[in-house]
Amino acid sequence: MEECGRAGVKISCEKLRKMFIQKGKIQVHVLEDISFEVFHNEFVVILGPGQSGKSTLLRIIAGLERPTEGRVLLDGKEVKGPGPDRGLVFQSYMLFPWRTVMGNVEMGPKLRGIPKDERRKVGAHYINLVRLDGFEKHYPHQLSGGMKQRVGIARAYANNPDVMLLDEPFGQLDAQTRYFMEKEIIRIWETEKRTVLFVTNNIDEAVYLGDRIITLEGKLPGRMKSTYTVNLPRPREHTDAAFLELRETIIEESQLSL
Amino acid sequence: MSVSTLADEIRRPVEERAPITLLRILRNEYFLYAVSLVLFLYIWDWVAKAHILGKSLATPHQVVTELARLMTVKLAGKNLVGHIWDSTRRVLVGFTIASVIAVPLGLLMALNRYVNAIVKPVFDIFKPMPPIAWISIAILWFGIQEGSKVFIIVIGTFVPCLLNSYNGARLIDPELYDVVRVLGGHRRHEIVQVCFPAAFPAIFAGLQVSLSVGWTCVLAAELVSSQSGLGWIIIQGMRLTKPELVIGGMAIIALVAWTTSLLVTGLEKLICPWKRQIEGL
Amino acid sequence: MAYEAVRVKTPLILKILPVASILLFFGAWEFTVDTGIVPSTMLAAPSSVLKLFIAKLTQPNPDGAVLSTHAWTSIKEAGIGYLLSLLIGLPLGLLMGWFTTIRGLFRPIFEMIRPIPPVAWIPLCIFWFGIGLWGKVFIIWIGAIVPCVINAWVGVSMTNPTLIQMARTYGATDRQIFTKLCIPSALPMVFGALQIALAYAWTNLVAAELLAADSGLGFLITMGRRLGLPEMVVLGMVTVGFIGAVIGVVIDVVEKRLLAGIRR
Repeated sequence: MEECGRAGVKISCEKLRKMFIQKGKIQVHVLEDISFEVFHNEFVVILGPGQSGKSTLLRIIAGLERPTEGRVLLDGKEVKGPGPDRGLVFQSYMLFPWRTVMGNVEMGPKLRGIPKDERRKVGAHYINLVRLDGFEKHYPHQLSGGMKQRVGIARAYANNPDVMLLDEPFGQLDAQTRYFMEKEIIRIWETEKRTVLFVTNNIDEAVYLGDRIITLEGKLPGRMKSTYTVNLPRPREHTDAAFLELRETIIEESQLSL
Repeated sequence: MSVSTLADEIRRPVEERAPITLLRILRNEYFLYAVSLVLFLYIWDWVAKAHILGKSLATPHQVVTELARLMTVKLAGKNLVGHIWDSTRRVLVGFTIASVIAVPLGLLMALNRYVNAIVKPVFDIFKPMPPIAWISIAILWFGIQEGSKVFIIVIGTFVPCLLNSYNGARLIDPELYDVVRVLGGHRRHEIVQVCFPAAFPAIFAGLQVSLSVGWTCVLAAELVSSQSGLGWIIIQGMRLTKPELVIGGMAIIALVAWTTSLLVTGLEKLICPWKRQIEGL
Repeated sequence: MAYEAVRVKTPLILKILPVASILLFFGAWEFTVDTGIVPSTMLAAPSSVLKLFIAKLTQPNPDGAVLSTHAWTSIKEAGIGYLLSLLIGLPLGLLMGWFTTIRGLFRPIFEMIRPIPPVAWIPLCIFWFGIGLWGKVFIIWIGAIVPCVINAWVGVSMTNPTLIQMARTYGATDRQIFTKLCIPSALPMVFGALQIALAYAWTNLVAAELLAADSGLGFLITMGRRLGLPEMVVLGMVTVGFIGAVIGVVIDVVEKRLLAGIRR
C-alpha cells in the first residue's frame, strides 16, 4: 500500500456507458455510469458476479471496445484503441498454440520490431519471473492450465506495459491451483510493480489480492455498487480475522441486492 | 525366491500377464491381420485359377511377375518407373498450381468481406460439379496433350484447398486477433502472425483431400485419353485383355497414392509440431 | 459472452456484390463466345446452353434420350450404389470399431482397397460386368463405401470410455455395450458419412459413365464432346452440379431434423 495512493492517477474512467445497438434498437445495455480512478501502481479488483459487464469494462479500458458514452483516460490522455501500454491477460489464456513458451512471451517485443537477441533476454527474464525456467521450448498444449496462465502473464509483462489488465485469469483453474496463482500474482506484482486492474467473481480472491475492490451490480446494466479499501498488510491470510470480516461485509452486501 | 514387496510393486508397472492360450492368439489383432491377408491371397488365387470370373482375373503371382517385367521392358517407350513418374508429375504440377492459388485466396476470402462477396457466389456455382465432368471440356480445349490432364487436376484440387483454407481461417478464435492488437500489432501482423499459422492444420487437411482427388483426376484423364501413365497402363491392360496389367496397375496406383499421402502427413508433422494428433485413421 | 454475437449491420454493397459478381461472370462468358474471342467449337455461350436445355426437355436427339431420362439413369445408378454402400459399409464400420475379430479380418482388405481411386476400378469392372448398370453401381459402391466404413469405425471408437466402464459395472456384455452404447453414440459420425458418401457417389458416377455408358448425364457429357457440341457438355455438367447441390441440401435438412436434439 505504501507506493500507491495519491501518487498520481493512472487510469480514469469517466461516466462510461456501453450499449450494443443493432438496427437502431438497444440489444444489450451492458454498462452504465461507470466512473472511477486507479492510482499509479495500485492493485484494483473489479468484483462482480457473472453477466455484470465487468469483462466488457476491462475490454473498454484495454481499447478493444469503444464506449457508447464516456471515456477512459490513461495518464490524462484518452484511450482510443488497444496498445502495448496496457497488457491484457485473458481468461482462456489465448496462447498461440503454434509458438513455444518463449515464442509466446517474446511476441510483444517481436511485433514492435525489437531484434532477436534483446527479445530473448527480455523473454527469459519474464519466464524466470513467472518461474517457468526450463519450459521455454514447450508448446502450450504440453502445459497445465496454471502454467499456461503464467505464460500469459509473462507475455503481457514482456511488453513492458504501464498497466496490467487481467480478465478473470484464474477462472479456469482448479481451486488449489487458484490459491497458488493468487500468491504468485502478488509475488510477481511486488517484484515488478505495475498498475493492475483485476477482474474476478470470487470474493475471497478479491479480498486477498486487491488494494481496493470495486463491486458491480449483479444484473445488467452493470453499475458500480461500492468501493472497499483493503488495508490489510501483505501477505494476507484467508483465515485472518480482518480478512473474514471484510469478506462477510461484501457477501452480505451482494446478497442484499440479489 | 524373494517375496515381492510393496515397494517393488510400485516401482514396476503392474502388468497383467494372461496365460498364452490358443484362443488368445486367435483373438490377437495382428495375428488376424496376417490370417486375413493370407486368406485373401489364397481366395484370390483360387478364384483366378478356377476361372470363376472367366479369364478376367489374374493370379497374384502373375501380377507380380508382370510388374517385375515392366521394370525393364518398355511399354510405349517407358518402363514402369517412367509411367509412375508421368502420373505423379502431372498430379504434382496440377496440385501445386491449384494450391498456390487456392490457399491464399481462401485465406483472403475469410479475412476480407468484399473479396468473399465477389468470389464465393461464383465458387459456389462450380463447387458441386465433379472435377471429372470437366474432362470433356479439357479435351475440347487442350486436346489430348499434357495440358488437358493438368487442367483437370487443377480444377479438381482447387476446390478442397480453397474450402479448407477458407474454413480454417474462419474458425480461428477471434480473441487471438485481440491478443495481437493488445500487444501492439497491426492488421498485417494479425494476418501473418495469427491467421496463417492458425489455419495451417486445416490447410494441410485440405491438401490431403486435394491430393487424393488429384490422383482420381489424373487416372480418369489418363483412362480417357493419354499415351503414358498409370491410368494408361490400366487401359492397355483392358485393351490387350491382360488382367495382370490391370490389377498390377491398380496396385501400383494404390502404393504411390499412399506414399504421397504419407509425405504430406510427414510434412505436416514437420511444419505443425503443435498439432496434437487425434488417434484415428 | 452472450452479447458478443451482436453484429454490425451488413452494408448494402455486400448484398449487391454477390449478385453483381454472378451477373458479371455470366455476362463475360456470353461475351467471350459471342464475339468470337473463344471459338464456339470450344466453349458454348450460356444462351446456347439454355436453348439446348429447353430443347432437350422433350427432344431425344441427337444423343438418344431426353434430359430427364439421362438424369434419371444417373440418379438410379448413383442411388443404388449409394444405398448398397450404406447397407454394407455402415454395419461393417460399426462392427470393425468394436470387435477385434472383425477388425482383424477385414482391416487389411479395407486398407488395401482404400487408396485405390474408384476410377481405377473401371477397366476391371468392364471385364467383370460389361458396360451395364452393375458395373457402374460397383464403381459407385466402392467409392462410397470407404467414408461409410471410416466414419462408422471412428464413431464407435470415439465412444466415451467412461460410459463403457459404467456399462461394464452394470455387467453388460460386449454385445450389449455395442448395440446399446456404441451404435447410438456413433450416430452423428454416421450421419456425417451419409453426406460424404453421397458426394463421393455422385462424383464417381460421372467417372463411371464417362467411360462406358449409353445413357446418363456422364454419357451426355461425353456425347457432347464426340459430336462437337460444347453446349451439350456444359448442359451435362451443369445438370450434374445442380442435382449434386440439391441432394446435398436435402440431406442437410433431413440430418438437422433427425439429429435435432443431439449436439454434434
